[in-house]
Amino acid sequence: MDPAVQVSHLRKVYPTSRGQKPALDDISFSIPPGRVYGLIGRNGAGKTTFVRIAATQLAPTSGSVSVLGMDLETNTREVRSRIACVPQESRPLYFLNTEEVVYLYLKMRGMDAVEARRRTKDAMDELSLTEYAKRQVSRLSGGLRRRALCAMVLASDAEVLFLDEPTTGLDPLARREVWKAVRRTIREHRTIVLTTHYLDEAEALSSRLALIEAGQLKLEGSPEDLRARVRYPYRVMVQDPFPREELEPYGRVSKVEGGHLVFAREADAREVARKGLERGVRVSLGPVSLEDIFLEVVGKSIEEDEPAEDGGGEAYA
Amino acid sequence: MTTRHRLRSLLTLVMINGLIPIRTQPLFLLSLIASPLSFLFFIFIISKGALLAFGVTGGMILTMLSVGTGLQSDLTHYRHDLKFQDIVVASPVEAPVYVAGMALSELVYSLPGLAVFVIIFLLDGLGTPTSAAVLTGVVLLVWAFACALGFTLATWFEDVRETFLFSPLISLGLTVLPPVYYPLSYLPGWAQTAAKFSPTTYAAQLVQGAVGLVSISWETAAVDWVILIGFTVALLVIAAVKARWQEP
Repeated sequence: MDPAVQVSHLRKVYPTSRGQKPALDDISFSIPPGRVYGLIGRNGAGKTTFVRIAATQLAPTSGSVSVLGMDLETNTREVRSRIACVPQESRPLYFLNTEEVVYLYLKMRGMDAVEARRRTKDAMDELSLTEYAKRQVSRLSGGLRRRALCAMVLASDAEVLFLDEPTTGLDPLARREVWKAVRRTIREHRTIVLTTHYLDEAEALSSRLALIEAGQLKLEGSPEDLRARVRYPYRVMVQDPFPREELEPYGRVSKVEGGHLVFAREADAREVARKGLERGVRVSLGPVSLEDIFLEVVGKSIEEDEPAEDGGGEAYA
Repeated sequence: MTTRHRLRSLLTLVMINGLIPIRTQPLFLLSLIASPLSFLFFIFIISKGALLAFGVTGGMILTMLSVGTGLQSDLTHYRHDLKFQDIVVASPVEAPVYVAGMALSELVYSLPGLAVFVIIFLLDGLGTPTSAAVLTGVVLLVWAFACALGFTLATWFEDVRETFLFSPLISLGLTVLPPVYYPLSYLPGWAQTAAKFSPTTYAAQLVQGAVGLVSISWETAAVDWVILIGFTVALLVIAAVKARWQEP
């Protein structure tokens, strides 16, 4: 099956006062159709630059991107007719009401009134916006405005949707509603490219993920692939009392409240768990989380802004 | 997109940026006609009514230019603060449809102002088939070049505050220095030369000539039309080539 998005040696360089800064540095990957593809990385890593290029809003410096088999440079108009985007930090026009945000967007895309009205109602119901349908955007909370934008593009007939941090500012319940709508959308065999700061969200929704740091692709694949490619794919939590020096030969050890966290290979992780149980301390064993993978690859938490000058962390193929 | 789809997009944009904001805040209508009516008031008072016709014809031209500066402010705000242009770019809506829709939506705001001027125009006995035809043509051309200029600048500005900087300068260059509210002959020689770089000079001269406020030969009128149309076409071409729909 042809990829929904094919990225080949993509580079984007911005001029700065000190010369040029690459926002994307020769990245290549493909996004399969009919799935959610998650892009994760810290602020400034290059996620939004990628989304803006793929959504035809920004020209690349070099390299190519094709969407649904069409090159962006030569088939821009055709691509635009089949995509939709919620840009990062976008807000709906404040004088519209919530229903108008969705309905008029669909009409602006050329949809007829009957179809636009039906899709608007469905999207409003799905994202629990119906009670706010007639409320003016200026009187909505930030979270509701964000939901209205999500409803707008999810209701569209676009085949590839770019959602750039769509759930920022939403409470946990509202985030789940967006997740539900996203899952419903991919059942319609549409493709969603999602950037997010929430690693639980990326893990819950994405069938494949790309980890971008300092404009470079550090890891790419399914969540299972990502786990298989880090040095220590398992984590063991060992409660105190347990001497740290006995754990260190098995992998990377971090002190946490009430015990130690050991990142290790599978056999070593099982051995640590066995030793812990023999000593009668509480032990929990499992695969590493996306947060753990991120920390190991990048060397910093996703919450930290400003990528390191050298790109940070180790390079993973 | 088919022609029918384009028309639907265009009318939706008129609704989004014209009719709905007016429904929400009707004071928008008063805001846009405030400047032209203020000028008209001053001219009427100072000239004791003698230069009312200049005030009316100049007011129509200024109203159309205000549509362009209004478009420039709105589009800059939508692009930077709301990312609305990015939403539209990543959709089937083409740049000319977006600009035309937004330009028409701004025209909606100017309709009450234009209506006031048309009523005074008719009551003052200035309305003849020729003057009406010339006025309509000139007003449409001024609207077109003002919107082309507004759109181009809006896609280049890096911040909404830049519109606050440029709008008064554009107004100065297009409405105050050129003889929109008075005859070209009132200006000293050097200022007449400078005024010839502004398209509104030709627009004003055509309208003032058509209603009999100044005397211009048909050859001068023909040259004025050519220059005004040329300016408009040039600004539309600049908008098509230089406006940043996709950012570089």
